[in-house]
Amino acid sequence: MGFVKLVVFGFIGLTVIYWSIALFSRSVRKERLENEFDAQHPDGGAPGARDAFIAEGLKAYDGSIRPKLIGLVYVVPTLVVAAIAYTINTN
Amino acid sequence: MQSIKTILRIIVLVTLGLYFHYILPQHDIVKVTSTEIIRTDFSAFNRIFYAQADSGATEQPTRDLRLINTQKQDTFLLGFVPRDSNSVMVYRNEDTGWIYPPYFKFDSADLQAEAANLARGDEWVVVTHYGWRIRWASVYPNAVGVRTVSGPDVTIIPWFNIFFFIFLMAAILFVRAAWRQFRQRSVDPILDAAGDQIDEVQASVAERRGRIRRWLDTWRSKK
Repeated sequence: MGFVKLVVFGFIGLTVIYWSIALFSRSVRKERLENEFDAQHPDGGAPGARDAFIAEGLKAYDGSIRPKLIGLVYVVPTLVVAAIAYTINTN
Repeated sequence: MQSIKTILRIIVLVTLGLYFHYILPQHDIVKVTSTEIIRTDFSAFNRIFYAQADSGATEQPTRDLRLINTQKQDTFLLGFVPRDSNSVMVYRNEDTGWIYPPYFKFDSADLQAEAANLARGDEWVVVTHYGWRIRWASVYPNAVGVRTVSGPDVTIIPWFNIFFFIFLMAAILFVRAAWRQFRQRSVDPILDAAGDQIDEVQASVAERRGRIRRWLDTWRSKK
Protein backbone atom coordinates (compact mmCIF):
# COMPACT_ATOMS: atom_id res chain seq x y z
CA MET A 1 0.00 0.00 0.00
CA GLY A 2 1.45 3.28 -1.10
CA PHE A 3 -0.20 5.32 1.61
CA VAL A 4 1.17 3.14 4.44
CA LYS A 5 4.64 3.34 2.89
CA LEU A 6 4.37 7.13 2.70
CA VAL A 7 3.29 7.41 6.34
CA VAL A 8 5.95 5.01 7.70
CA PHE A 9 8.92 6.31 5.72
CA GLY A 10 7.72 9.89 5.98
CA PHE A 11 7.60 9.53 9.76
CA ILE A 12 11.10 8.04 9.86
CA GLY A 13 12.50 10.79 7.62
CA LEU A 14 10.80 13.58 9.56
CA THR A 15 12.05 12.13 12.85
CA VAL A 16 15.63 12.31 11.56
CA ILE A 17 15.06 15.94 10.53
CA TYR A 18 13.38 16.70 13.87
CA TRP A 19 16.33 15.45 15.90
CA SER A 20 18.88 17.19 13.67
CA ILE A 21 17.11 20.51 14.15
CA ALA A 22 16.54 19.95 17.88
CA LEU A 23 20.20 19.08 18.58
CA PHE A 24 21.43 21.92 16.36
CA SER A 25 19.18 24.48 18.04
CA ARG A 26 20.23 23.39 21.55
CA SER A 27 23.89 23.39 20.58
CA VAL A 28 23.64 26.93 19.21
CA ARG A 29 21.95 28.07 22.41
CA LYS A 30 24.64 26.42 24.55
CA GLU A 31 27.39 28.09 22.57
CA ARG A 32 25.70 31.45 22.98
CA LEU A 33 25.41 30.94 26.76
CA GLU A 34 29.11 30.04 26.95
CA ASN A 35 30.09 33.14 25.02
CA GLU A 36 27.78 35.29 27.13
CA PHE A 37 29.34 34.05 30.36
CA ASP A 38 32.87 34.46 29.04
CA ALA A 39 32.10 38.04 27.98
CA GLN A 40 30.73 38.90 31.43
CA HIS A 41 33.55 37.17 33.33
CA PRO A 42 36.85 37.80 31.53
CA ASP A 43 38.69 36.38 34.57
CA GLY A 44 36.84 33.02 34.34
CA GLY A 45 34.43 33.63 37.25
CA ALA A 46 33.99 31.55 40.40
CA PRO A 47 34.66 27.78 40.10
CA GLY A 48 31.49 26.02 38.96
CA ALA A 49 29.72 29.27 38.14
CA ARG A 50 30.13 28.75 34.38
CA ASP A 51 28.56 25.28 34.42
CA ALA A 52 25.72 26.49 36.65
CA PHE A 53 25.04 29.46 34.37
CA ILE A 54 24.92 27.23 31.29
CA ALA A 55 22.75 24.58 32.97
CA GLU A 56 20.30 27.26 34.08
CA GLY A 57 20.19 28.82 30.62
CA LEU A 58 19.56 25.46 28.95
CA LYS A 59 16.79 24.71 31.44
CA ALA A 60 15.15 28.01 30.53
CA TYR A 61 15.60 27.09 26.84
CA ASP A 62 13.93 23.69 27.34
CA GLY A 63 10.96 25.39 28.97
CA SER A 64 10.61 28.04 26.25
CA ILE A 65 8.43 27.93 23.13
CA ARG A 66 11.37 27.42 20.75
CA PRO A 67 11.97 23.66 21.12
CA LYS A 68 8.23 23.09 20.88
CA LEU A 69 8.10 24.95 17.57
CA ILE A 70 10.46 22.33 16.12
CA GLY A 71 7.46 19.99 16.31
CA LEU A 72 6.17 21.90 13.27
CA VAL A 73 8.58 19.68 11.30
CA TYR A 74 5.85 17.03 11.53
CA VAL A 75 2.91 19.36 10.98
CA VAL A 76 4.01 21.46 8.00
CA PRO A 77 4.91 18.61 5.57
CA THR A 78 1.62 16.87 6.42
CA LEU A 79 -0.29 20.05 5.60
CA VAL A 80 1.75 20.56 2.41
CA VAL A 81 1.01 17.00 1.25
CA ALA A 82 -2.68 17.46 2.03
CA ALA A 83 -2.73 20.80 0.17
CA ILE A 84 -0.96 19.37 -2.90
CA ALA A 85 -3.22 16.31 -2.97
CA TYR A 86 -6.29 18.54 -2.68
CA THR A 87 -5.32 21.06 -5.37
CA ILE A 88 -4.16 18.40 -7.82
CA ASN A 89 -7.27 16.26 -7.49
CA THR A 90 -10.00 18.91 -7.62
CA ASN A 91 -11.10 20.19 -10.97
CA MET B 1 43.36 17.13 -9.18
CA GLN B 2 41.67 20.50 -9.33
CA SER B 3 40.33 19.88 -12.83
CA ILE B 4 38.97 16.43 -11.83
CA LYS B 5 37.17 18.12 -8.94
CA THR B 6 35.73 20.74 -11.28
CA ILE B 7 34.55 18.08 -13.73
CA LEU B 8 32.91 16.07 -10.94
CA ARG B 9 31.21 19.19 -9.65
CA ILE B 10 29.89 20.03 -13.13
CA ILE B 11 28.58 16.46 -13.58
CA VAL B 12 26.76 16.65 -10.23
CA LEU B 13 25.28 20.07 -11.05
CA VAL B 14 24.14 19.02 -14.52
CA THR B 15 22.58 15.82 -13.15
CA LEU B 16 20.72 17.79 -10.49
CA GLY B 17 19.60 20.36 -13.05
CA LEU B 18 18.28 17.64 -15.39
CA TYR B 19 16.56 15.92 -12.47
CA PHE B 20 14.79 19.10 -11.41
CA HIS B 21 13.89 19.87 -15.01
CA TYR B 22 12.32 16.43 -15.24
CA ILE B 23 10.52 16.39 -11.92
CA LEU B 24 9.31 19.98 -11.34
CA PRO B 25 6.02 21.18 -12.84
CA GLN B 26 6.11 23.09 -16.12
CA HIS B 27 3.36 24.86 -18.00
CA ASP B 28 2.59 24.55 -21.71
CA ILE B 29 0.00 26.57 -23.59
CA VAL B 30 -1.87 24.20 -25.90
CA LYS B 31 -5.08 23.38 -27.69
CA VAL B 32 -6.31 19.90 -26.88
CA THR B 33 -7.06 18.12 -30.14
CA SER B 34 -8.00 14.61 -28.97
CA THR B 35 -7.57 12.01 -26.29
CA GLU B 36 -6.78 8.34 -26.72
CA ILE B 37 -5.79 5.21 -24.94
CA ILE B 38 -3.06 2.90 -26.18
CA ARG B 39 -1.86 -0.41 -24.82
CA THR B 40 1.71 -0.06 -23.57
CA ASP B 41 4.42 -2.70 -23.16
CA PHE B 42 7.21 -1.07 -21.22
CA SER B 43 10.82 -1.88 -21.93
CA ALA B 44 13.46 -2.13 -19.21
CA PHE B 45 14.77 1.25 -20.34
CA ASN B 46 11.64 3.36 -20.62
CA ARG B 47 9.90 1.86 -17.58
CA ILE B 48 11.52 4.44 -15.24
CA PHE B 49 9.88 7.23 -17.24
CA TYR B 50 6.41 5.96 -16.37
CA ALA B 51 4.48 6.01 -13.11
CA GLN B 52 2.48 3.01 -11.95
CA ALA B 53 -1.00 1.66 -12.67
CA ASP B 54 -4.00 3.63 -11.40
CA SER B 55 -3.56 4.00 -7.66
CA GLY B 56 -6.37 1.61 -6.72
CA ALA B 57 -5.35 -1.03 -9.27
CA THR B 58 -2.60 -3.63 -9.37
CA GLU B 59 0.57 -3.45 -11.39
CA GLN B 60 0.87 -5.62 -14.53
CA PRO B 61 3.64 -5.80 -17.11
CA THR B 62 1.25 -4.42 -19.72
CA ARG B 63 -1.49 -1.87 -19.33
CA ASP B 64 -3.46 0.85 -21.06
CA LEU B 65 -2.06 4.35 -21.09
CA ARG B 66 -4.15 7.50 -21.35
CA LEU B 67 -2.77 10.04 -23.82
CA ILE B 68 -3.74 13.65 -24.51
CA ASN B 69 -2.90 14.92 -27.99
CA THR B 70 -2.39 18.65 -28.30
CA GLN B 71 -1.17 21.42 -30.50
CA LYS B 72 1.38 23.37 -28.52
CA GLN B 73 2.56 26.95 -28.64
CA ASP B 74 6.35 26.84 -29.05
CA THR B 75 8.62 28.59 -26.59
CA PHE B 76 12.28 29.26 -25.94
CA LEU B 77 14.14 29.01 -22.64
CA LEU B 78 11.98 26.61 -20.61
CA GLY B 79 8.80 28.34 -21.65
CA PHE B 80 9.80 31.86 -20.63
CA VAL B 81 10.06 33.27 -24.15
CA PRO B 82 7.05 32.68 -26.41
CA ARG B 83 7.37 31.99 -30.14
CA ASP B 84 4.95 32.40 -33.00
CA SER B 85 5.03 28.80 -34.17
CA ASN B 86 3.09 25.67 -33.26
CA SER B 87 4.03 22.05 -32.89
CA VAL B 88 2.33 18.94 -31.60
CA MET B 89 2.81 17.55 -28.11
CA VAL B 90 1.49 14.33 -26.63
CA TYR B 91 1.06 13.96 -22.88
CA ARG B 92 0.49 10.79 -20.94
CA ASN B 93 -2.02 10.95 -18.14
CA GLU B 94 -1.12 8.62 -15.29
CA ASP B 95 -1.74 8.51 -11.55
CA THR B 96 1.45 9.26 -9.65
CA GLY B 97 0.13 7.65 -6.46
CA TRP B 98 1.34 8.33 -2.96
CA ILE B 99 5.09 8.04 -3.29
CA TYR B 100 6.96 9.28 -6.32
CA PRO B 101 6.99 11.74 -7.92
CA PRO B 102 5.12 13.47 -5.09
CA TYR B 103 2.26 14.99 -7.08
CA PHE B 104 -0.35 12.84 -5.26
CA LYS B 105 -2.35 12.61 -8.45
CA PHE B 106 -5.22 10.13 -8.38
CA ASP B 107 -7.61 11.77 -10.80
CA SER B 108 -6.25 10.77 -14.20
CA ALA B 109 -9.68 9.50 -15.28
CA ASP B 110 -11.22 12.91 -14.39
CA LEU B 111 -8.40 14.71 -16.16
CA GLN B 112 -9.00 12.57 -19.23
CA ALA B 113 -12.68 13.55 -19.16
CA GLU B 114 -11.72 17.22 -18.85
CA ALA B 115 -9.32 16.89 -21.77
CA ALA B 116 -11.97 15.13 -23.86
CA ASN B 117 -14.34 17.97 -23.09
CA LEU B 118 -11.72 20.55 -24.12
CA ALA B 119 -11.00 18.66 -27.34
CA ARG B 120 -14.54 19.42 -28.53
CA GLY B 121 -13.90 23.17 -28.50
CA ASP B 122 -11.14 25.42 -29.69
CA GLU B 123 -9.97 26.91 -26.38
CA TRP B 124 -6.46 27.70 -25.26
CA VAL B 125 -5.43 25.66 -22.25
CA VAL B 126 -2.50 25.64 -19.85
CA VAL B 127 -1.29 22.10 -19.24
CA THR B 128 0.71 21.62 -16.05
CA HIS B 129 3.00 18.67 -16.51
CA TYR B 130 6.31 17.15 -15.56
CA GLY B 131 8.62 14.93 -17.54
CA TRP B 132 10.05 14.86 -21.03
CA ARG B 133 8.98 13.80 -24.48
CA ILE B 134 11.69 11.41 -25.65
CA ARG B 135 10.55 10.19 -29.05
CA TRP B 136 13.08 7.38 -29.66
CA ALA B 137 12.25 5.87 -26.26
CA SER B 138 8.45 6.43 -26.49
CA VAL B 139 8.41 8.58 -23.38
CA TYR B 140 5.78 11.25 -22.69
CA PRO B 141 5.50 14.02 -20.12
CA ASN B 142 2.78 13.37 -17.54
CA ALA B 143 -0.03 15.95 -17.48
CA VAL B 144 -1.18 16.74 -13.94
CA GLY B 145 -3.71 19.50 -14.57
CA VAL B 146 -5.42 21.63 -17.22
CA ARG B 147 -7.03 25.02 -17.01
CA THR B 148 -8.47 27.23 -19.72
CA VAL B 149 -6.93 30.63 -20.44
CA SER B 150 -8.01 33.60 -22.53
CA GLY B 151 -5.35 33.33 -25.22
CA PRO B 152 -1.96 31.97 -26.22
CA ASP B 153 -0.06 34.97 -24.85
CA VAL B 154 -0.87 34.70 -21.11
CA THR B 155 1.94 35.13 -18.60
CA ILE B 156 2.40 32.19 -16.26
CA ILE B 157 4.30 32.66 -13.00
CA PRO B 158 5.71 29.37 -11.75
CA TRP B 159 4.88 29.97 -8.07
CA PHE B 160 5.51 26.43 -6.98
CA ASN B 161 9.00 26.36 -8.48
CA ILE B 162 9.84 29.76 -6.96
CA PHE B 163 8.88 28.56 -3.48
CA PHE B 164 10.56 25.22 -4.07
CA PHE B 165 13.93 26.79 -4.88
CA ILE B 166 13.68 29.25 -1.96
CA PHE B 167 12.98 26.29 0.33
CA LEU B 168 15.83 24.31 -1.21
CA MET B 169 18.24 27.20 -0.58
CA ALA B 170 17.11 27.46 3.05
CA ALA B 171 17.50 23.68 3.49
CA ILE B 172 21.04 23.75 2.04
CA LEU B 173 22.03 26.66 4.30
CA PHE B 174 20.59 24.84 7.33
CA VAL B 175 22.44 21.60 6.56
CA ARG B 176 25.68 23.56 6.11
CA ALA B 177 25.23 25.45 9.40
CA ALA B 178 24.28 22.26 11.27
CA TRP B 179 27.28 20.39 9.85
CA ARG B 180 29.66 23.20 10.83
CA GLN B 181 28.20 23.35 14.33
CA PHE B 182 28.54 19.57 14.67
CA ARG B 183 32.15 19.65 13.44
CA GLN B 184 33.10 22.54 15.68
CA ARG B 185 31.40 21.32 18.86
CA SER B 186 31.56 17.53 18.63
CA VAL B 187 34.19 16.32 16.16
CA ASP B 188 36.98 18.87 16.56
CA PRO B 189 37.35 18.43 20.38
CA ILE B 190 37.72 14.65 19.90
CA LEU B 191 40.22 15.12 17.07
CA ASP B 192 42.11 17.69 19.16
CA ALA B 193 42.31 15.29 22.10
CA ALA B 194 43.46 12.47 19.80
CA GLY B 195 46.00 14.80 18.20
CA ASP B 196 47.38 15.79 21.59
CA GLN B 197 47.77 12.13 22.54
CA ILE B 198 49.60 11.36 19.28
CA ASP B 199 51.88 14.33 19.92
CA GLU B 200 52.69 13.06 23.41
CA VAL B 201 53.45 9.54 22.18
CA GLN B 202 55.66 10.88 19.40
CA ALA B 203 57.49 13.12 21.83
CA SER B 204 58.19 10.26 24.24
CA VAL B 205 59.36 8.00 21.38
CA ALA B 206 61.67 10.75 20.13
CA GLU B 207 62.99 11.26 23.64
CA ARG B 208 63.71 7.54 24.12
CA ARG B 209 65.37 7.30 20.74
CA GLY B 210 67.51 10.28 21.69
CA ARG B 211 68.64 8.49 24.85
CA ILE B 212 69.57 5.31 22.92
CA ARG B 213 71.38 7.39 20.32
CA ARG B 214 73.35 9.16 23.04
CA TRP B 215 74.25 5.84 24.64
CA LEU B 216 75.36 4.42 21.26
CA ASP B 217 77.37 7.51 20.63
CA THR B 218 79.42 6.81 23.76
CA TRP B 219 80.81 3.70 21.97
CA ARG B 220 81.91 5.65 18.92
CA SER B 221 85.46 6.73 18.64
CA LYS B 222 85.93 10.33 19.55
CA LYS B 223 87.32 12.42 16.76
